[in-house]
Amino acid sequence: MAARDYYSRGQNLLYNRPVLVIFAVIGVFLVFDILRQLGTGTIVVTDLMSYLWNGLVLGMSLGLAGVGLSMTYSILNFANFAHGDLITSGAFAGWATAFLIAGLGEFSVEALVLIGGPIAVGSNELGINVVNTPLALLAGLLVAAALTAVLSLLLDRIVFKPMRSADGVTLMIASVGVALFLRNFLTFSFLTDSRGLTGGNVPQFTIADVTFGGHQITLVVVAALLMLGTHILLQYTKIGMAMRAMAANKDLAKVTGIPTERVVKLTWIIGGGLTGCAGFLIALQQGTLTVTMGWDLLLLVFAAVILGGVGSIYGAMVGGVILGIASRLALVWIPASFLLVAAFVIMIVMLLVRPSGLFSGRTTA
Amino acid sequence: MSLLSVQQLDAGYGDLQILTDVDMEVGKSEYITIVGPNGAGKSTVMKSVFGLTTYMGGEIVFDDRDIAGEQPEDIISYGLSFVPQSNNVFEPLTVTENLKMGAYTLDQFPEERLQAVYDRFPILETRSEQKAGTLSGGQQQMLAMGRALMLDPDLLLLDEPSAGLAPDLVDEMFDRIDEINDAGTAVLLVEQNAKEALRRCDRGYVLVQGQNRHEDSGEALLNDQQVREDFLGG
Repeated sequence: MAARDYYSRGQNLLYNRPVLVIFAVIGVFLVFDILRQLGTGTIVVTDLMSYLWNGLVLGMSLGLAGVGLSMTYSILNFANFAHGDLITSGAFAGWATAFLIAGLGEFSVEALVLIGGPIAVGSNELGINVVNTPLALLAGLLVAAALTAVLSLLLDRIVFKPMRSADGVTLMIASVGVALFLRNFLTFSFLTDSRGLTGGNVPQFTIADVTFGGHQITLVVVAALLMLGTHILLQYTKIGMAMRAMAANKDLAKVTGIPTERVVKLTWIIGGGLTGCAGFLIALQQGTLTVTMGWDLLLLVFAAVILGGVGSIYGAMVGGVILGIASRLALVWIPASFLLVAAFVIMIVMLLVRPSGLFSGRTTA
Repeated sequence: MSLLSVQQLDAGYGDLQILTDVDMEVGKSEYITIVGPNGAGKSTVMKSVFGLTTYMGGEIVFDDRDIAGEQPEDIISYGLSFVPQSNNVFEPLTVTENLKMGAYTLDQFPEERLQAVYDRFPILETRSEQKAGTLSGGQQQMLAMGRALMLDPDLLLLDEPSAGLAPDLVDEMFDRIDEINDAGTAVLLVEQNAKEALRRCDRGYVLVQGQNRHEDSGEALLNDQQVREDFLGG
């Protein structure tokens, strides 16, 4: 009886969701293939563990970067293409601050604020890393958050607020303009060459042949704390509740007496702050910074957000981590230069199987 | 001395004018019904009072204060609450969270109001941690009313509270409204279920094409031959 039930349920699934079944079969096959390769010794456990760890690092970067994007989407209903360049802006603001604090007295203020640039300041001479100069990094993180929040507010006031009643596509195109403006403004100030940021001996731990970099750990821990903070804000504070209420039903939020414009402002402040932190931390982990950092990352961040369910803040976190880990795990089969392909294949599969994302119908909450 | 006084109100959406010279009075603790054919602008009157339409002229005075053209978030703090017709709960939020949002404008959360709402709608207390989206239609309607009662308003605006409810729940809904009104809250009600609404209210207004047509006690309107033929199906 039970076997027949399973059989008919399977048959239904095959008829109704053939795409899902195909991808599920492929997924199961891949899991068995990993086990087989482990068994035959084609890959070793150490490699697998380091894929997972590096995947987690990438995933937390994408997740943290995605939270702000998802927030603006859920409250304002548009895909903010300027988000990538907000990430970059935060990174530059934070790192200018970190350089200034770490190198004040040794180098000219101008050179430090421009993070080297035309005037050479070797990152090795400054020796910024999490052990040598924790205060400079902390200050950088705070400034990155604050400046990106202020920048977001300013952009909202100048560009998005006058267009509040416009539809999502119009706002999205406006945001592309904002993205170009920000990137070119940064290029004007900082030029396009890549900057080395960290220096000195960055501590790292090796456990069972898997290397955990100090800055990787910093990123994962700080990102996790910030996500936890966002969770507490959303679930247990009045304003967080209002943000969830507004994401769910704007018209009702208005008649309930929720000051919607104030919630919008706060969304930009919180979302911007988290985005700035993401930019600063990603640059810290990479050790380098260019003006296209955020833009290059944006498609992956979008993929993470779509994976989790557009507009869902928890979805962005989970989507980021899944995408990060899955794309690194793909290194079992494909060379590292195809990492982006793996990430986007996952996104496409997700859109085919469950277009509304993992956390669909659970907007924000 | 009337609580709400609407004089010669012109209002609509954007460039589209719906209401022309609408007059309406709601006294303290009074129960008023607006009836009329579809598209008469019944809901528009209510939304205009609450600042949700484009104000085009006339007077809206609530509690001696001119509220025409003000924002809902300000109007609600004067003692007016509005329950929209549909989508009137925050579905992903729990029942308690929905009710807390109802008191958003207050600095201090009124625990005793929450208890008062739970006493009025005991089902909400048993479902307090449940997501509002998982409630039945009738329960959602109670939650929407409960949310509007969190500020203990002097006037409650109800936009078609019986819409979409099963027939046996409609009577219960009207009983609830009676209870709320008996407790001293004035009610301004828009209803499709015109006969029942007129039977229960103190006074009624008949609105046609965005203009006042009749105004009388509910009883009188029910018995008015013209009103019966035009809107109540004989």
